[in-house]
Amino acid sequence: MILEALIGFTFLAALLVLLAPNAWAGRLAFALSTVPFVGSLYLWSRFDAVGNALTGGTIAFESRYEWVEVGGRTVSWFVGLDGISLPLVVLTTFLVPLAILSAWTPVDTRQSQFYGLMLFMEANLLGVFTALDFFLWFVFWEAVLVPMYFLIGVWGGPRRKYAAIKFFVYTNAASLLMFIGFMSLTFALGDSIGSLALPEITQAIADGGLETWFGLSPGRIAMVAFLATFAGFAVKVPIVPFHTWLPDAHVEAPTPVSVLLAGVLLKMGTYALLRFNFTMLPEQASALAVPIAAIAVISVIYGAMLALAQKDLKRIVAYSSVSSMGYVILGLVVFTEYGVGGATFQMVAHGLISGLMFMAVGVVYNATHTRMVGDMAGMADRMPVTVGILVAGAFGYMGLPLMAGFAGEFFIFVGAFGAPSLPYAPVFTALAMFGIVIVAGYLLSAMQKTLFGPFRLETDYEIGRAPFHDVAPLAVLLAAIVVLGVAPDLFFEMIRDAAMPVVEGVSVDV
Amino acid sequence: MVDAFAYVPAVVLLPFFSFLVALGAGKYLPKGGAFGGIAATAGSFLLSLWIATAVAGGRAYDETLYTWAAGDQFELTFGALIDPLSALMLVIVTLVALLVHVFSLGYMNDEGETGLPRYYAGLGLFTASMLGFVVADNLLMAFMFFELVGLCSYLLIGFHFREPGPPSAAKKAFLVTRFGDYFFLVGVVAVFATFGTAAFAGEGSFPALAEAALAGDQAVWTPGGLDVMTWFTVVGLLVLGGVVGKSAQFPLHTWLPDAMEGPTPVSALIHAATMVAAGVYLVARMYGFYALTPTTLAVIAFIGGFTALFAATMGVVKDELKQVLAYSTISQYGYMMLALGAGGYVAAVFHLTTHAFFKALLFLGAGSVIIAMHHNEDMWDMGGLKARMPVTYYTFLAGSLALAGIFPFAGFWSKDEILYEALVHGLNEPLLLGGYAMGLLAVPVTAFYTFRMVFLTFHGEPRTDLAADPEPVRWNVKGPLTVLGSLAVVTGLINMVPVQKVLGLEGIDYLHRWLDNEWGGIDGLSSHHYADLGPYSSGYIAGGEVPTVLVGAAVSLGLALAGLGLAWRLYNVASPTEHTAKLGGIKDVLYNNYYLDELQVWIAYRTEDIAGGADTFDQGIIDGVVNGVSSVSLAGGSRVRRIQTGLVSQYAAMLTLGLIALLVLIGVNGGWFL
Amino acid sequence: MAAVAASIPPQWYLLLAAGVFCIGLFGILTRSDALYFLMSVELMMNAANINFVAFSLYYGDLTGQVFALFVIALAAAEVAIGIGIILVLYRNFGDIDVTVPTEMRW
Repeated sequence: MILEALIGFTFLAALLVLLAPNAWAGRLAFALSTVPFVGSLYLWSRFDAVGNALTGGTIAFESRYEWVEVGGRTVSWFVGLDGISLPLVVLTTFLVPLAILSAWTPVDTRQSQFYGLMLFMEANLLGVFTALDFFLWFVFWEAVLVPMYFLIGVWGGPRRKYAAIKFFVYTNAASLLMFIGFMSLTFALGDSIGSLALPEITQAIADGGLETWFGLSPGRIAMVAFLATFAGFAVKVPIVPFHTWLPDAHVEAPTPVSVLLAGVLLKMGTYALLRFNFTMLPEQASALAVPIAAIAVISVIYGAMLALAQKDLKRIVAYSSVSSMGYVILGLVVFTEYGVGGATFQMVAHGLISGLMFMAVGVVYNATHTRMVGDMAGMADRMPVTVGILVAGAFGYMGLPLMAGFAGEFFIFVGAFGAPSLPYAPVFTALAMFGIVIVAGYLLSAMQKTLFGPFRLETDYEIGRAPFHDVAPLAVLLAAIVVLGVAPDLFFEMIRDAAMPVVEGVSVDV
Repeated sequence: MVDAFAYVPAVVLLPFFSFLVALGAGKYLPKGGAFGGIAATAGSFLLSLWIATAVAGGRAYDETLYTWAAGDQFELTFGALIDPLSALMLVIVTLVALLVHVFSLGYMNDEGETGLPRYYAGLGLFTASMLGFVVADNLLMAFMFFELVGLCSYLLIGFHFREPGPPSAAKKAFLVTRFGDYFFLVGVVAVFATFGTAAFAGEGSFPALAEAALAGDQAVWTPGGLDVMTWFTVVGLLVLGGVVGKSAQFPLHTWLPDAMEGPTPVSALIHAATMVAAGVYLVARMYGFYALTPTTLAVIAFIGGFTALFAATMGVVKDELKQVLAYSTISQYGYMMLALGAGGYVAAVFHLTTHAFFKALLFLGAGSVIIAMHHNEDMWDMGGLKARMPVTYYTFLAGSLALAGIFPFAGFWSKDEILYEALVHGLNEPLLLGGYAMGLLAVPVTAFYTFRMVFLTFHGEPRTDLAADPEPVRWNVKGPLTVLGSLAVVTGLINMVPVQKVLGLEGIDYLHRWLDNEWGGIDGLSSHHYADLGPYSSGYIAGGEVPTVLVGAAVSLGLALAGLGLAWRLYNVASPTEHTAKLGGIKDVLYNNYYLDELQVWIAYRTEDIAGGADTFDQGIIDGVVNGVSSVSLAGGSRVRRIQTGLVSQYAAMLTLGLIALLVLIGVNGGWFL
Repeated sequence: MAAVAASIPPQWYLLLAAGVFCIGLFGILTRSDALYFLMSVELMMNAANINFVAFSLYYGDLTGQVFALFVIALAAAEVAIGIGIILVLYRNFGDIDVTVPTEMRW
């Protein structure tokens, strides 16, 4: 019941905030959003799952109610957590209050609607990460898009409509492709499944339940399903070449929305890839290991090169997200303990670090009203604390040891380098690792140009220090990043536990 | 009896706490948190001494202290490894850090710098990172602290962030070393993939496993079934990438002269005991692995020898005090690399030790001169400071004599041993002999630029009003100089191998015995073991060991004196002039550092061009396709919607036509018309 | 009654219905006056009614006649609404020509 309470409370909170007057909607939303965070900490403390939820492990906080029957398949309200989803739930509930706090300064119109939509999105995100029934999961998955569309389209920058529509249509079309792919899989499973519950489907596929369907052999159908779902999720992640909606969305979105977009929404894609493609269809994944690893490496290097060419601070961080997500894909495809576990860890780490970066850039933007590298210099002189945290966050992004990003990346690298299931693994890994040099290149030069040197910015007002409620979330995020970097086992232990069954699903001929 | 080794974490954590204190409460503390740093480093220094005594008492320490990630595949841990090498290094680092902290009181506080809490926080973190690196018991932990050292160098080199130069230099320092660290990280990952562990010491350590694998007693993973020897060489070279970056070896040395933008005490710390030393220390730390692969050793030796000469030539034409010292650092670390490559493990550590003291001394001396000169660093504006700042002069002179390798100062002994090792091992190895030749050639150049610097700064007549009336310095500057000055004179005594060999005195090669675990240590980490692993055999010239020692020492001392003499002739006059013009075109090449900076800038710009091209491609082609799909749908929609005329009659007509068409279709299918 | 009905084959009813339908259709396609429209639609529905009743008689099943009654009731309602729409049309456009109001087309 506790998960229902968590999601239900967040929905109610969204409704409540929607009805609250603008004047104190922000404060109310922040107060209410801390409750799910406390709830997720409680979940963490009582967490008792063993193994992977999809491959027959013990599911924590499992709750299942039958709902309707469609075409001989029971659709149920089926939620639960395992070592992969809990960290993401905690990440979501942790980031939302901070994002709400960071919205106090920049959001100055229709506050109640803004915060209501933020909480509505949080509720759906929690649904995505907890749902274990495909139908339920898909409802949440799609419902996330709606608040996001309005958050970008109403409170965004000058080209907000373009960005919002691009985001919505692109990801929605991808969802369609994914839906078709997954549905063909369930149809091909025929009578071997009686519901759309993900564990049941996973088991049925593993037990060879796929039949010839629509004139396609089981192997063929699995491959088609894999490709369709992979392409669908690739847009969400995003993987090159499906990434172009991301920078537009980020540049137009207001700061708190960017924080959630980079921090949590992108992780939906990688989470779904791990759950669907790599857990359900491991054979197809390893058959396609080389091309997938190749696009992962291309995402890393190409995304980093694009970031190098940008002048807008938000675009830089947006493209570097593409780069970071490339590491996640590489980690997933190698099917080793550290690879898959590191990829999951990197989701959390990147969520925190990119959230911090967007938030810090947002605080600078609040003061300067520009994000262009050439327009300002020497910001460190006027906003020492903000810039200090921004620099720390940037180093986290570069993979500085003892910060969460390094842990995630190192796990992926060390898991990928000697991976037996991926041919040329050392080459792919070494190439992807070069990303850490390029990321240092563009972040350092952007910082040098904007933050250091003699102060220069043309404004008709004085720039002072940022208010406390802007800086506090930055400090909290930075602390979380350092804690996870020093003690990754806080999450990594449970992640490993849940990742091992996925890895063992792939038999390797050495 | 309390165990000294229980306090190993405290050695690292004390400066870390001073970082936290200075960062959090520095602005409320007197002197911007300086005393916290001094107390912390002093505490670390005392603990290090205690730990060193414990090692001298015949014990060693190798414990895993913290599990970072406990996977089934590999366990990633933090631990402490205290053996003679790390104990020695701990003492050096903490001592230099302590003196730098004290000196900073004079250089930073007395000069009225702002941002002192940030400065002392940086120093504390820098020291803590380096100490963590020194005690690291595995390659991953070493890498992590190695990177943190890089971060601290960034923060401290860019300390004066309001000026344009320092942030740029800081960026360059981090970026160039990051480039090296990339290879190092690949190496770390490769070590894990190959051996499943990255521990430095013990039965299951990766050097031990590598040794067993080469002997055929142990199966290890290699990519694509590569030959074990080849793969180990590759791994060794990958790790070496990090060393080349941090220890500023050719071709990744370019960051170091720029790093002079940082405050002078920071330069002292970077050059003498922390960042630059980290590279060489790393090679020494995993020498058991390097000794297995002759190719790697030869590469190390050659890079080292080449860098020693290459950097020395650039030092000859520089005008600024700190620039000369910067190139001398690169050159001296080249010597250490030469020693390591030549199998002279002890010689390298010896030079690391003596260099730490005399280079810290020279930088602090330069700092003292800079205070006196109100932050003018141009040597042509100085002159005649000898009479006005005697303490600085005599200590600086001691350091210079050590750097130039003049008997009997510390540098003489260590440099001589390096050249001796390179010579005796190089007689059978052409590549090594090349390294030796370059190292030998660098000796007179070193002596020349060192004394050019001394003469221009301290001798002759004051060339500016500033130099005629320098600002006095206080005890907090003179104190550290005196300590280091004494050390620069006497450190050579710890390892007087030539004396032992020539006079036949047994047992005065204390450093040899120390590093050979004679008092205490860990099996497999002794200099004897390394020598056994290494590929080298010794050859002698002039008919034996003793003549070789004498001839080698005489040649290098003679060359050093020649260089010194030339500097004396040219620059020890009342009003010296620039003689560099005589070098003609070479001067420009040297002055511009062989245009290597330009090359790297060119590479950076070309990378940006590629990035710009990628961006154009991305916006034009990839996003163009996305936008194209949307435009095509929109355009198609606006065409198709023309059918919707809004005229009901037309809709009805269409309905009718549709009905007729349907009827005809059904009719044709049903065969009605046949 | 049954004899008379039986003597007239169902084709005749169908032809009549088709004729009435085509007249209605012709009216819709050629006229643009809303009142003509309404009457034409009425004709087309009555054509359908003829079919319903004819087949009801032919099969001896009352369902068709019931449907015809429904259609008649529906047609009455439709006329009421239709006339209402026409009135509004006239009020807004000053004409009952259906080609005039094209505001909502795209």
